[in-house]
Amino acid sequence: MITIDKIAFSYPEKRDVFDSLDLSLSGGNIYGLLGKNGAGKSTLLKLIAGLLFPAKGNIEVLGFKAKQRYPDFLREIFIVNEEFFLPSSSLREYQMLYSRFYPRFNEILFDEYLRGFGLDKNQKLSTLSYGQKKNFLLSFGLATDCKVMILDEPTNGLDIPSKSQFRKIVANAIDENRTFIISTHQARDMENLIDPIIILDEGQVVFFEHYETISKKLTVSKEKEIDGKKNIVYAEPTFGGYTVVRPNDAGGETNINLEILFNAVIHSREKIKEVFSA
Amino acid sequence: MELKNYFVASRFWLLLKLELFRSRRAIGMMLVITLGMLILFGLLLDIIVSDIRLVYDHHENYAASMMIGGFILSSLAFMDLSSSLRRSNYLTLPASTFEKFLSMWLLTSVGWVMLYTLVFWLYTVIVNPIAALLFGPITFQPFEPFGEYSVTVIQYYFVLQGIFLVAAAHFKGYVFAKTIFVLVLFTLIIGIVSYFLMRDSFLVDHECTAGHCEILDSIEAHTGWQIVKFLFWWTLAPLCWIVTYLGLKEKEV
Repeated sequence: MITIDKIAFSYPEKRDVFDSLDLSLSGGNIYGLLGKNGAGKSTLLKLIAGLLFPAKGNIEVLGFKAKQRYPDFLREIFIVNEEFFLPSSSLREYQMLYSRFYPRFNEILFDEYLRGFGLDKNQKLSTLSYGQKKNFLLSFGLATDCKVMILDEPTNGLDIPSKSQFRKIVANAIDENRTFIISTHQARDMENLIDPIIILDEGQVVFFEHYETISKKLTVSKEKEIDGKKNIVYAEPTFGGYTVVRPNDAGGETNINLEILFNAVIHSREKIKEVFSA
Repeated sequence: MELKNYFVASRFWLLLKLELFRSRRAIGMMLVITLGMLILFGLLLDIIVSDIRLVYDHHENYAASMMIGGFILSSLAFMDLSSSLRRSNYLTLPASTFEKFLSMWLLTSVGWVMLYTLVFWLYTVIVNPIAALLFGPITFQPFEPFGEYSVTVIQYYFVLQGIFLVAAAHFKGYVFAKTIFVLVLFTLIIGIVSYFLMRDSFLVDHECTAGHCEILDSIEAHTGWQIVKFLFWWTLAPLCWIVTYLGLKEKEV
């Protein structure tokens, strides 16, 4: 569905964001894109959406070159950026004007999503809060029935009920013809939603695994003390002891939270590599 | 190269409707301001400044206000490219770059010329009774939308408007002011170069009468000038349209 082939990208007068990045994403998944600030998450999303052009390499989305921004490509991709602009029309006017560009736009679903977020079509977009605007855009994007949905920090600014609603809607909207790519710092909001997990660091994909594999390969425990460093992939101090990540030698599936996984990958990259290549 | 990647009539029509809806306030305001300025400067000030005349002419007002209004409107053409947030929306809207260019070109050239000419014609219809009511037996010459003068003005507008479209697709913010600055700078440079090139020709004795000047007539007849004229009328506008299109195509967030 999405093939990124040896792309290089840098902003003017800044260091390279990507030097030779490869990535391949298939349909039917909700990819979670994690990374530190400045790791290139938003840049990667914009490159996939054809909003930025790589200096080298190719990006193909659904058989289209993203850079060409052909209408048939644009109608299959919807991006909700962390910061966005919406005109001052009403929700109904927005739908009337923009939905026609998406041939499979589903008005019934759109109305359902809006109701779920407590939004009224007669409201003016300019009177909505940041979180409500985000919910509106998400609802609109999902109703377009596009094949690639890109969400950059989607839960930033959402209240607790909206976050639950967001998870519910996204989980229900995924099918084998559709791909979600969600970039986030709010790892806890995305728990049990995103799978596989992609971690970007210093312009490289340093981790790309399904949740099932992760839970088979790693185990997390709370320990009061650490005896030496034997068999420890990563440990971090917590209240009253340590959270310790070890290879899962027992074989069963364990539950690992995204925050600790992310820290383990960033701080013990080589050890993680060893565990997953074994 | 598939045509549907560049132009589909139904999609273009949707885009045109969208742009018209979004620009409706700007177009309305532009027309009201222009009409107000015409009444203020074209009617009231004209009569007050030279109150001994009985017949007044509007044609210069038509040219000036159409050019200024149209250039301002053209400068606002790609407002969506002015900030990265708006740009993201505009560039991901499922229409081709060609359709986006064509819709803006149509609205700011053909659309503006037609709408403005209609409004100006209406103005000249209502101005006579108003002027007669306020200032007694004076009249304004009738305005002919399809007369030679109007057509020439429209031709100039079509050519020059392209420059403002190029600027709208390339400059970020203050497009009109920046374009005027660049044009003034360009004219100054051309003026200085021309002065040094042709200074000696103008210093020799030559005859000038009202409307004709020997040297200017000889320049006009010169092949170089003919080439410049050809380039102005036949290549400047298409070149501007191509540069605008390429600017849109290469635009990133």
